[in-house]
Amino acid sequence: MSWLGGWLREIILIVLLATFVELLLPSKSMERYARLVLSLLILLTLLSPIVSLLKGNAASELGLAFRRSDGGTSGHTGTVDAELQKILADGRKLAAGGRDQSLKLAAQQIAGQMKEQIAAETGKRGANVNVTLALTNEADGASVPAITQVVVTLPGEASAAQGNAPGGSGSGESTPIMVQPVEDIKVEPGGGETGLKEQGVSGGGDAPAAAGTDQGSGTGGADAKAVTALLEKNWSLDPGKIQVVDGGADKW
Amino acid sequence: MEIIQIVGIGLMSTVLILVLKEQKPMFAFLLAAATGILIFLFLIGKIGGVISTLQRLAESSGMETVYLKTVFKIIGIAYIAEFGAQIVRDAGQESIASKIELAGKVLIMTLAVPIIGIIIETVMKLLPA
Repeated sequence: MSWLGGWLREIILIVLLATFVELLLPSKSMERYARLVLSLLILLTLLSPIVSLLKGNAASELGLAFRRSDGGTSGHTGTVDAELQKILADGRKLAAGGRDQSLKLAAQQIAGQMKEQIAAETGKRGANVNVTLALTNEADGASVPAITQVVVTLPGEASAAQGNAPGGSGSGESTPIMVQPVEDIKVEPGGGETGLKEQGVSGGGDAPAAAGTDQGSGTGGADAKAVTALLEKNWSLDPGKIQVVDGGADKW
Repeated sequence: MEIIQIVGIGLMSTVLILVLKEQKPMFAFLLAAATGILIFLFLIGKIGGVISTLQRLAESSGMETVYLKTVFKIIGIAYIAEFGAQIVRDAGQESIASKIELAGKVLIMTLAVPIIGIIIETVMKLLPA
């Protein structure tokens, strides 16, 4: 019974509103036309249960019909166009965001593959590869992702030596290297400072660094060349785009 | 007592227009238009109050807003067309004034078209094929 109450309430309100509006109308010339629309509205309200039965909600149908007729007139096409442009711009923004993410993901995968190749070919584990991808425009207008820069950070000699000595895997390399300088600090107590200092220098910290720098110019350079050649061959990259950094020299 | 202000403005502008009409009819017309707009702006706040009250009543009683919007559109079109037509009529352009009124009538009639469409579709569905 609640729908009956709602329906009656709606009819009463519409009739009251129509009477009020008729009083408000400015001139007699408009009155006939306004009365026609108002009477049609009252008729639609009276028929609303049947309309709901046959077509769905009468009010929503009317709203839809108004929107459709508004879209057809020239006065509203501007706003419709503006809305369409806004939706298209949003779509483009979303597509660009998705493209950026896919480029980032592809760059990560390529970096992983390069890392494996470097480890397999040169035996250098734990190299850090950073790949930058960008979209380049082809002649036919399509944009194709291309590698713009590859930065390879090779692990230091000391870490490589530490990593190889226990025969551990690549993941265990870095932690022992960090422990090594802590052992050097233990040298502090003791009388013969010079001797100890010499011992410390020769035994611990600087020795690998010296070796690293010495060999860095020799083997490090050779490694860098090997890595560059490998990437150049496997990925057909321009050598100018490949940058090999010796991480060991920087660390120590 | 806004009505006193409005009547005062109306009387003052009428006297001024009568004086100006002999010397500069163009300025008399501009003054008439400006007075009309001024009175309209004076009343716009009151109209807004009435409309918001009606809207609130309709919402609280669960009436569909699309009906209310249609009714408001009718009043708006009627008032604006009448206002413009009277200004133009004051300037002596009776034919243009009647065209403005015609435009108002046509625009009110276009509001009826979707309603007629829905009613006719419903009636057609009710009838046996």
